[in-house]
Amino acid sequence: MADLKQPAERFRVIARGKLADPRLQEAIDSSTERLRSHRIDAWSELDDVEERRERAYEIRMRAVRDIDGNLNRFRSALEARGGHVSVCASAEEANAYVVDVCKRHGAKLLAKSKSMVTEEIGLNDALEAAGITSVETDLGEYILQLEGEHPVHIVAPAIEKTKEDVARLFTEAEGVDVPPVLEELTASARRQLRHVFLDADVGVTGANFAVAETGTVVTVTNEGNGRLCASLPRVHIVVTGIERLVERMEDLPHLLSLLGRSATGQRLTSYTHLVTGPRREGEQDGPEELHVIFLENGRRNLIGTKYEEMLACIRCGSCLNVCPVYRKTAGAAYGPVYSGPMGAVLAPLLVGLDQAPGLPHASSLCGACTQACPVKIPLHELLLELRSDLVEERTAPFLERLGFSLWSVAWSTPIGYRISTRLARLGQRWGSRLGPGRVWAGGRDLPALARKRFRDVR
Amino acid sequence: MRVQLFATCLGDLIFPDAVRDAEALLRDAGVDVDFVERQVCCGQPAFNAGHRKAAKRVARTFDKAFSRDHPIVLASGSCATMASHYLPKLLDIEPYEVWELSSFLEHLGVEVASTNEGRMLAYHDSCHMLRDLDISDAPRRLLEKSGATLAPLERSDLCCGFGGTFSVRQPEVSVAMADDKLAAAADSGAEALVTADPGCLMHLTGRANRVGGVPIVHLATALRHGVGASSG
Repeated sequence: MADLKQPAERFRVIARGKLADPRLQEAIDSSTERLRSHRIDAWSELDDVEERRERAYEIRMRAVRDIDGNLNRFRSALEARGGHVSVCASAEEANAYVVDVCKRHGAKLLAKSKSMVTEEIGLNDALEAAGITSVETDLGEYILQLEGEHPVHIVAPAIEKTKEDVARLFTEAEGVDVPPVLEELTASARRQLRHVFLDADVGVTGANFAVAETGTVVTVTNEGNGRLCASLPRVHIVVTGIERLVERMEDLPHLLSLLGRSATGQRLTSYTHLVTGPRREGEQDGPEELHVIFLENGRRNLIGTKYEEMLACIRCGSCLNVCPVYRKTAGAAYGPVYSGPMGAVLAPLLVGLDQAPGLPHASSLCGACTQACPVKIPLHELLLELRSDLVEERTAPFLERLGFSLWSVAWSTPIGYRISTRLARLGQRWGSRLGPGRVWAGGRDLPALARKRFRDVR
Repeated sequence: MRVQLFATCLGDLIFPDAVRDAEALLRDAGVDVDFVERQVCCGQPAFNAGHRKAAKRVARTFDKAFSRDHPIVLASGSCATMASHYLPKLLDIEPYEVWELSSFLEHLGVEVASTNEGRMLAYHDSCHMLRDLDISDAPRRLLEKSGATLAPLERSDLCCGFGGTFSVRQPEVSVAMADDKLAAAADSGAEALVTADPGCLMHLTGRANRVGGVPIVHLATALRHGVGASSG
């Protein structure tokens, strides 16, 4: 959980490093552009995008606003089919639950599919501390695990890595030479991961949605690793956020079609896996035991506040792919879990604004995120709200608050405006030597105040 | 037809010529232009930075200065967004009729002088104008009416990196975004990059002064004088 904390200056420091790496800039540029254009193509097939976004918003907000009703329905439905449901308030609680289940089964090896919630709670570290080996089976996540890094994109976690990077990592991991050719790389990944699926005692997956009505967990992947994690090991543990719930099965197709289209430009992802309970008598496959953990970790506090719309997010990554700031910095600057505009909103809400005060300002407020969001979350307006809260809570620096106060008093009357702008004109030659002017002038010429204002010459 | 011209603070203090050109375009179109001397600023700099009390203090000058009897016209997409969308909510007042210059000129169906005959120009969409006000065709059509050919500017919708206080909170990212925009303008083959927002103009000009690039011209100036006379 400590992972979500972000000191104010951290974004800028990491961003500088990313900007200085041309190879990485090229990699983010082409990857985000590919994902962005795929989404636009996929949306352009639809003639009622706005209606679909409205409907998705309605479905998501209906679920969020009745979270307890939905949790109860989900629990009854899944328990009736022999599954176990647990609501965990914190990361520690959720980790302890997973470790406990693993220990009860004497698990040594755990196969994991991609899940941002398990990143959020730091599950792999908790497992390692308990002596359990957890292997990421999503290709991107596996690459990052070999490199010892965190995901930089919620959908394409290894977006910064080139095929040469991957070839190097796989060569080290396999001990045989793996050339940087896509087919060779996927074959190598298959060799490395196949035994993990077969040998793992426990499989951990996330959930893209959880259907309350039926107690069904829904996972989408393009590699099929999710369904292997969910069906081959004896025990399957799902770790997800309470906000993944949707009310009815009939809500699901609509959301799935928007998720695939928005995330990767697919009408539907390659694998859509619906799990409703563990293996039953007479069934050939599936785990003997199924646990679904719903994580709160700050989410519940958002319900009923001006930020509750953030809980509608379906983690499609569209806002990252269109964000001009993300496009220059990639994910790491936002922190190790959630990035881009959704991360800039969500991380401070989960961890506390004072713990991530820089994130609401890591945006030019261009609004591309809001426009791209398939569930109509007004992301840039939520950033504005967070900025306002930073000032209200006095987390914003004192000098900044003083500066805006003085400015606003001066500019609250035409005479104050006249005097202050005259003074500014007299002082402008020193403008580039201190404060924001100095920062601006680091890369740009300061604008010159005109000798005569418009109102003086018209 | 009578309108109230809002100069905006950047227009008044840094780009008075662009505001003069905007006023002249309106007068040429047969519009009576009032300039209310009491006007100051819409409060956007503070509002976007989260300083709502400060923003309110300044936004009240707008409410005191302007009347609801005539439309308010201004040559800035982002201030038009503030004045039409956010300011009324901030002050809890009735909205004003606010027009961004190019959309107003289009609305009037004005003729445009052939100031850019034979010229190749690129148009940069400013964020709020494009996404909040949904204005993207009007400035382009006006430029074409002035005789210009529009160069295909790659990702004309990408932010130039200004973003108010963002430009000094994340200066490196902000400058890198400006560089992308300047590079796209150079690649487009345009003689000049036109924008309808003083914020973008200030940012891109500030960067271009350091690293070079095509001239950056306010839309009002481009329409009134043509891009060749951008400094005038």
